[in-house]
Amino acid sequence: MPRWWNRFQSKIYSRAWWLSERYGRRAGSFDDIPLPPLAPVRRPLPEARVALVTAGGVHLADQPPFDMANPDGDGSFRVIPRGVGPAELRITHDYYDHAAADRDTNCVLPLDRLEELARAGEIGAVAPRHVGMMGHLSGAALGVLVDRSAGEIAALFREDGVDLVLAVPG
Amino acid sequence: MVESVGIPTVTLSVVRSMTDATPGPRNVFLRFRLGQVLGEPGEVAQQQAVLRRALAAVDEIDAPGGMIELPYRWKRERYPAPVGVAE
Repeated sequence: MPRWWNRFQSKIYSRAWWLSERYGRRAGSFDDIPLPPLAPVRRPLPEARVALVTAGGVHLADQPPFDMANPDGDGSFRVIPRGVGPAELRITHDYYDHAAADRDTNCVLPLDRLEELARAGEIGAVAPRHVGMMGHLSGAALGVLVDRSAGEIAALFREDGVDLVLAVPG
Repeated sequence: MVESVGIPTVTLSVVRSMTDATPGPRNVFLRFRLGQVLGEPGEVAQQQAVLRRALAAVDEIDAPGGMIELPYRWKRERYPAPVGVAE
């Protein structure tokens, strides 16, 4: 599909929840990946170090954008350090309407809101590194995420002493 | 998956059929739009409310694949005043 068509479609189904639901059902499932048992809660929230993952295609301006030419998507990820300003963030993702998130990245990656909750003492700390990736993955790109990126993301969060991760879709 | 190295993960969703088909370990669903999962641009109170409730779900879900639905109705809602905003 040409990129303009994907972008056009994404504007339509991002509009209304019933269209999003149809889109979601067509995306199908990957239920061959079993859910692990729940990890025990590590610390109460006011002491927890929290990291964010967004599937909204967020990356830094100087990082390579996600690959929009591959119809399977892009299974790689970008590290987004704590404290980056909104001017340094970009969104590359043709499969949802990110006009709102382009104006305010917090719509899909609430880094500023997380800082505020930390300042107010509702969470313990903001993790030093967060992750941008893209949803809408299938085939080989999904394989890259499952076989490679997921493990690397988990390793970097462990290295940073992260207690809780919030994953946000695009 | 991050959960399997021992770090609890909460996954937000605005598309219920997707969460039903491919749930994360702990799921929080709300009827917001794709691309505006936390709320509207610049709506600090709304975004904080969603974030706060999503994080709190880590203590409220006790079975793998469990889901909580947030009651928020987009604009037609009185959100708590923002906290921790830098002057």
